[in-house]
Amino acid sequence: MGGLLHVLDAGAQLAILAYFLLINTFYVLFNLLSLAGILRYRRMITFVRFGEIFRMPIVRPVSVIVPAFNEEAGIIDSVRSFLSLRYPVFEVIVVNDGSTDGTLARLVEAFDLRASRSVFRRSVPTRTIRGIYRSPVHTRLVVVDKVNGGGKADAMNAGLNVSRYPLFCAVDADSVLEKDALLKVVRPFLEDPARTIGAGGVIRLSNGCTVRDGQVVRVGMPRNWIARFQVLEYLRAFLGGRLGMAMMRSTLIVSGAFGLFRKDVAMACGGYRSDSITEDMDLVVRMQKHMHDQGKPYRIYFIPDPICWTEAPESLKVLARQRSRWHRGLIQTLLRSRGMFLNPRYGIAGLFALPFYAFFEMAGPFVECLGYALFAVHIAFGRVNYPFAVAFFFVAVFYGTFVSLVAILLEELSSRRYPKPRDILILTMAGIGENLFYRQVLAVVRAWAYIDYMRGKKEWGAMERRGFAGAARTP
Amino acid sequence: MWSIIVLYSFAYIVLMSASLFVFIFVRRLVIDSRERKEAGVAEAMEQDLLEVLTAADPAGAAQAFARTHRARTRVLKRLLVAYREALAGQALEPLRMIFERTIRARCLRELRSRWLATRLQNVRLFVDFSRPEEAVHLVKLLDDKPVVRLAALNALTSIASPDTLAVIFDLFEKDHQPNFYAYSNIFNGLGQGIAPFLRASLRKPLPPDKLALLIEMAGRLLLRDLYPDVVRFAGHPDKELRIRAARALGRLLVASSSRTLCGLAADREWEVQAQAIRSLGNLQDWRTVPILTKALFSPSWHVRYNAGYALAAFGLVGVLELQEISRQTADRYAADMATMVLDTVILTGGA
Repeated sequence: MGGLLHVLDAGAQLAILAYFLLINTFYVLFNLLSLAGILRYRRMITFVRFGEIFRMPIVRPVSVIVPAFNEEAGIIDSVRSFLSLRYPVFEVIVVNDGSTDGTLARLVEAFDLRASRSVFRRSVPTRTIRGIYRSPVHTRLVVVDKVNGGGKADAMNAGLNVSRYPLFCAVDADSVLEKDALLKVVRPFLEDPARTIGAGGVIRLSNGCTVRDGQVVRVGMPRNWIARFQVLEYLRAFLGGRLGMAMMRSTLIVSGAFGLFRKDVAMACGGYRSDSITEDMDLVVRMQKHMHDQGKPYRIYFIPDPICWTEAPESLKVLARQRSRWHRGLIQTLLRSRGMFLNPRYGIAGLFALPFYAFFEMAGPFVECLGYALFAVHIAFGRVNYPFAVAFFFVAVFYGTFVSLVAILLEELSSRRYPKPRDILILTMAGIGENLFYRQVLAVVRAWAYIDYMRGKKEWGAMERRGFAGAARTP
Repeated sequence: MWSIIVLYSFAYIVLMSASLFVFIFVRRLVIDSRERKEAGVAEAMEQDLLEVLTAADPAGAAQAFARTHRARTRVLKRLLVAYREALAGQALEPLRMIFERTIRARCLRELRSRWLATRLQNVRLFVDFSRPEEAVHLVKLLDDKPVVRLAALNALTSIASPDTLAVIFDLFEKDHQPNFYAYSNIFNGLGQGIAPFLRASLRKPLPPDKLALLIEMAGRLLLRDLYPDVVRFAGHPDKELRIRAARALGRLLVASSSRTLCGLAADREWEVQAQAIRSLGNLQDWRTVPILTKALFSPSWHVRYNAGYALAAFGLVGVLELQEISRQTADRYAADMATMVLDTVILTGGA
């Protein structure tokens, strides 16, 4: 019995080591691809004047859809930011998803909204729409007031029903877009209109930044360490991971906080699924499946410089709720699209992207927790396996830190948004510091999310909003 | 022993982080210093360029400028592109001359680069400064990757001549995977001068999607001479071509097209009906008001929507008609649509 346990223990240790070596090697590969992608993109856009899109006689208009639930703290700044976007033809559709706070009242007051008797086509099913408001001053703004229920997906569907244009941009109500963000993210739809079905930009955290009149006027580092760790995580995820995966044509996620899609393809898939936990990933996967099923070539792009600033949670409790939801959403989407898994019919999405997300993103927290648990058991029994401990440290922590540091370098090469050397120093320290506590907590939260998913937990997890006015005054 | 390894590992992490920080810091210093230096050069160059643009003999001044600054290609490129934005017409001539005498040869060489980004950069310079005789170099790029081909086409549109127009239309006809959006903008940018080429292409047996774009362009560019070529597509079996014909007729505003559009308003496909109704609204032939009123009771949402706005386009006559429909109770959908249109008209002060 003892011998069997010993063999199992050794086998588990080896598997964990191999797993971490593989996952971090993939991340390094993505980072290298991202580096090549960023350098190429920088050269490609030399002498490109994004303003030339204004001179194009025929532009592709965009509907910016903003689902909002209890967003009174930051909704006005966000809508101002969306209305001040530099783009020739667009509309902003804010969907008030039955907020219980003053979201609608604040919108009505700030933008002089009047009830409109608009008639729209109910192409995808949604909960009841109570009213549609328009502003005689801001003619691009439409506010849809709907009954709560069905989550963000249902609100997005309501926005899709009311929208008029062939492209739609999904943005979060707690976000602000940089002025040129739409111009930049729309380029693939102009250069390759037949194949491009989606494009995403970079999400950055507004915590610590100063937002004025709907624009980030000063970029800073939050004082809260949880937010700082997230700044680094977002850099790693967007500049390292997503760009690298997009280079490999393996994009499965275009963030719901800022993503541009072709409406006809989204509608052909039935719009957003209101029972999905992470509606953004679910839609992207279904759009890809639809295109493969139709035998049509498609591309989903990731553009490294249009930036959307969003607010991140600063307490561990709220962060845990958010990450648990993300992980439950990941599990749900992967399980729902199991028919595509390792199916050559779905190309690289089925053969690489989905298996990668399943083996590394979904299972990652379990393996990491298993590693910590084994280590704890060994300590408890006074039989610490030092070679394993050191090797685990190398492949999980040391290698992981290296990936984080490369992400900082990618930020520096792509947009250099943190002007102070102090901010870079803080990010570097966060790259080391996150290994001490933060990373383990999130691994446990994400592993626990699987149990929550099995129990059928559907909770969205309310986010505490402070609004952009308070973003720079982080405690 | 293990504790020493762990200690060394931490030391490595700290060292690696410190190296990254130092690298970023030094890189910033280098870039800032280079930018400061280039800003100084750009300032001096800009002064000289302004003198060229205001000189009594711009050609001579441009030659002198080119001799002085030909070595500073990086700054020169940026300056030329920036000034190209601000200037138009004859004022561009000195810039063209400077371009030719400084970086043109290099740009031509780099058009053959194996790197896509380099080719693209240089085509983009040609978009601004190309001359008719340059067309031969740009035409070679029409077999390149889509993004370069697009830029080359854009460059060709800026040197529109019968020869280049023939090349563009020939390419369009032979293109297996045309970027219709790009071609739309290119044709649109070329303006009414493309009429003879458009007519010739419309008479060829091209695929429906290409014909659809050509019909669209005839309408968009208000090429009324092409009316006979467009109107024959109103009876085409392809639905998309009938839609485009209806749209083009609504733009060309030829009085005799009213009858054709009335016929299309009764088409078997709702998409064609919707477009024909919209075009009838543009035409504003009062005899078609009963057809538009009837269309407001169509089972198709899009037909009702277009009929509502088409009636509103008639002004008072249409608004009175819409008011009447909004009051009737027999068809709730027609009443709702009429109410919405009236509401929009009042809210936005339109019609």
